[in-house]
Amino acid sequence: MDEVQVKVKPEMVTVYIMGQAYQVPAGLTILKALEYAGFRLVRGVGCRGGFCGACATVYRLPGDYRLYADLACQTTVKDGMYLAILPFTPAERRPYDIRKVKPTGETLLALYPELARCVACNTCTKSCPQRLEVMDAVQAALRGDVAKVAELTFDCLSCGLCTMRCPAEIPHYHVWQLARRLYGAYLAPKAEHLHRRVREIEEGKFKEELDRLTSLTEEELRELYKAREIEPE
Amino acid sequence: MPAELRPAESHTSPVTRHASRVLYFPGCALKDQAQEYERATLAALGKLGYKVEELPRWNCCGTVYSLAQDDLMRHVGPVRNLIRVQEAGEEKLLTLCAMCYNTLRRSAEFVKDPESLRRINAFMDDEEDYRGGVRVLHLVQFLAEEIGEEALSQAVVQPLEGLRLGAYYGCTLLRPKEIGVDDPDRPEIMERILQALGAEPVLFPERMECCGAYLTVTRPDVVRERVGEILLSAAKAGAQALLTACPLCKFNLEERRPLGTPKIPVYYVGEALAWALGVQEIPEELAKSQAGVIR
Amino acid sequence: MSVYPDYMQESIRRVEETRPDRLGKNFPRLSLAEREELLRRYHPDYKPEGKRPLRVGASFGELVPHEVADLLEAYPLVDPGKTDLSQVDYDVDVLVIGGGGAGTVAAIWAHYAGIPTDRILIVTKLRHGDSNSIMAQGGIQAATKPHDSPAIHFLDAIGGGHFTNDPKLVRALVEDAPFIIKWHEELGVMYDKEEDGTMITIHGGGTSKKRMHSCKDYTGLEIMRVLRDEARNLGIPVLEFHPAVELLTDEFGQVAGAIVWNLETEEYKIVRAKATILATGGWGRLHIQGFPTTNHYGATADGLVLAYRVGAKLRDLDSVQYHPTGAAFPEQIVGLLITEKVRGLGAQPVNALGELFVHPLEPRDVESAAYIRECLPPEKDGRGLGVVTPTGMVGIWLDTPMVDMIHGKGTFQRALSSIYRMYIRFGIDPTKEPILVYPTLHYQNGGVVIDEHGWTGIPGLFAAGEVEGGVHGKNRLMGNSLLDYNVFGRRAGQAAAEWAKKARVGQLSLRHVERFVEELKRAGIPETRRAPLLLPDYRGKKTLARVVDLL
Repeated sequence: MDEVQVKVKPEMVTVYIMGQAYQVPAGLTILKALEYAGFRLVRGVGCRGGFCGACATVYRLPGDYRLYADLACQTTVKDGMYLAILPFTPAERRPYDIRKVKPTGETLLALYPELARCVACNTCTKSCPQRLEVMDAVQAALRGDVAKVAELTFDCLSCGLCTMRCPAEIPHYHVWQLARRLYGAYLAPKAEHLHRRVREIEEGKFKEELDRLTSLTEEELRELYKAREIEPE
Repeated sequence: MPAELRPAESHTSPVTRHASRVLYFPGCALKDQAQEYERATLAALGKLGYKVEELPRWNCCGTVYSLAQDDLMRHVGPVRNLIRVQEAGEEKLLTLCAMCYNTLRRSAEFVKDPESLRRINAFMDDEEDYRGGVRVLHLVQFLAEEIGEEALSQAVVQPLEGLRLGAYYGCTLLRPKEIGVDDPDRPEIMERILQALGAEPVLFPERMECCGAYLTVTRPDVVRERVGEILLSAAKAGAQALLTACPLCKFNLEERRPLGTPKIPVYYVGEALAWALGVQEIPEELAKSQAGVIR
Repeated sequence: MSVYPDYMQESIRRVEETRPDRLGKNFPRLSLAEREELLRRYHPDYKPEGKRPLRVGASFGELVPHEVADLLEAYPLVDPGKTDLSQVDYDVDVLVIGGGGAGTVAAIWAHYAGIPTDRILIVTKLRHGDSNSIMAQGGIQAATKPHDSPAIHFLDAIGGGHFTNDPKLVRALVEDAPFIIKWHEELGVMYDKEEDGTMITIHGGGTSKKRMHSCKDYTGLEIMRVLRDEARNLGIPVLEFHPAVELLTDEFGQVAGAIVWNLETEEYKIVRAKATILATGGWGRLHIQGFPTTNHYGATADGLVLAYRVGAKLRDLDSVQYHPTGAAFPEQIVGLLITEKVRGLGAQPVNALGELFVHPLEPRDVESAAYIRECLPPEKDGRGLGVVTPTGMVGIWLDTPMVDMIHGKGTFQRALSSIYRMYIRFGIDPTKEPILVYPTLHYQNGGVVIDEHGWTGIPGLFAAGEVEGGVHGKNRLMGNSLLDYNVFGRRAGQAAAEWAKKARVGQLSLRHVERFVEELKRAGIPETRRAPLLLPDYRGKKTLARVVDLL
């Protein structure tokens, strides 16, 4: 499995990993560039597919004053890029009991009063690798619009980049998690058919049929399988 | 991430300006403690034929940002709201909350200085440049100056005759004087509106005094003293109710009254408007005293 | 400007030409006999040279992929004779190995079953939640609609698994499913719903009823983060960056905890536990037969290795799930998952000529085999109608612009926002141009044998999630893995709690490892082979995308 075929000779670029220059093939992601350069990663790597948020990182480009933030596994290296590995975002999470909290702005502010320190600088939005309107979500939280917070932050990966960059020191992703659960548990309409089905199962409605199915031979199961009625698309 | 990687969609929507379209800025309090102010005002302005639209993607007016040390940072939030007005293709922004008005208007003034404008645009590299020129208006200015007292009184269907109402201005509508909605020492703009609505405005000396504002958190004793004086002054002048444009003033006037203070109810100016235009009922406590005076 | 090179754009034009005719039509579904023929000729599992029989252990003689055999027939990382077990660092009732979905659910339900949180410990290799669970996009199956039933779900699952599943486990899976969704709803998982609260459900490959519940295309992320948040609210302790490297046993033959390895300080810690739950996930990062993978960094089959050394039986490890639609272009995202939901929403697989050649929603192994047949050159019994990329990958088109054409503009961006975002980052707009896909290593169908309570048959050892086998037989259907980890995580958590309430642990030992080492020596296994792997090594050239030897 270690044999890797490289059919095309890649063009090389220079990147600076925590200050050191390395030559890596163009077209690699930042994560793969780090590995190509010889780093064996433990921190700053996770799902490698843009879902877990573990590889959040910051970088700069030559001749550009901006400090960019993005996911290392989803960003292609550029020549002259200055790279770092960010191991961890310290941010306190406040525990709560989902069965006891109210789905209101007061709940958000009571657990995270630092929300009120937002100065609308928009740095959070600029640093979001998912391109979410993070500051709009802070503002929605301030005005108590829990549903809007949940909607705006649904695609949040809790990577912590906004939290690292925020001058008001808000632990955004913990607030978003709270808001989404408040929405899902209290504000979203309940699925009546689901509750009916759970009751039916508890009352044993499907027990006999399942007893029978588990005792059938493979041949009998094949016949039933072939006879299934397929719901139209 | 670099700007070129951001999705192409822009929040700017080219809008044809329409004479009766008004963009308005609610601010946080109107979405929470002061919902009745928003409800009443929007209903009333609708009755007057205005298409009042909430400013898209608005953020906090910036009143809390004065906590920031440098002079630039505190204007970032307010100016961002002005950019939203520009994006919406409008030139005017209506505010209801006196505090939001104060903050937004002060920033609008601040960026009239070209150097300040240049600095703030350079800092806000994530937005289109603010070009200046957005007029921040408070509701009372809108009523008295844009609509005018005559048109207003013609729209009245339920005159507030016999109601002795005291306009309480507080600080933020009047000071600093460069942005005041009227003469900070002898304001009369709210009284003119009340008159147009058919009420009897009651002038009282403490109507421009500070209620104590945020000291309500750390020094409620100071606020109680101020509120006591304001209410006593209004009672002496014969006011049946006070009208304000500020959710914080209203909170203090109601929640920080010393024992034994006259029981004068406090309403938002937008509510009086809604009563007179017939989109809301006059509250019972006032209607009682009005009975016999009219009809 | 398109990032596809000219010759690929030429093929895209053919896809566009045939699109109007394909809209509203579909390739007929295959009969069972046709499916079996396709699998036999084209599925990688049916290549005999990819596997070998195990030479040691409880499943002696069973066929497994070489990459897996190399780990099962390997020497331990710790020297059993020289390891001091007298200093117990953590003493708990329930030890959960693995901090993904299965482990988190197991820990929560062990607590619900009466174990205090400070008597539970989750140890995990990366961060809590970094797992395949968090990467799942498409959905979770449950027969919650009136016209559907657990019995129909049972038939779909067992037929999809080619009737090789353990019926008791399938029954548990389908019968608990609606309860699991209800539990999630109470915890605040934001399932896609209609305005009246009705769950939005669609088809997945091999389903006969629309049963796939989803949270946009971040279903795995949304469920995992809510479960993790709940575990944190309950105060369940988690040791991150502490993979288990060996199980511990006592003189009664019970599993009694584990040795864990701090990846950062490089120290061993001894965990004593009355019950141990394996929730270590699967094997994607072994890159079986050189395939790229959708899996997270830590998916190295450690749990199989540990369980095998204490005598647990393994099953169905001869079958590997290749997800039909891994990204094949551009190079940066090769192997990453393109959820089945894209096909569920109407995107069709078409070849270089723009021809539809298989129904989009056959079971995954059948679908994958069809794509491989389309791409293989005629001299290897294929049709040679794949599109070869500039870096030598090959794939077929997934006609993504159809999604918005069928369901309305904006659907793709809303319902498939993670896929949309990923392609936009690399300059491709999937609502305007099709995307190139090829099967990618996705799931470990088999695993440690369990009963319906998640018990492995070894006293004190339970298993849940991808590490266990039998639930899916030799092929898992989409949407049954999120369900599996919830159903069996819960059952294993409850069973482990009940066991722990009665169990007494004796003297900690590694006697089972000593015995296993003797067996390895007798079989003549080279001593250089070590396991568990813990993390794959991608340093240097190994970081470049693997190119499957197909062409």
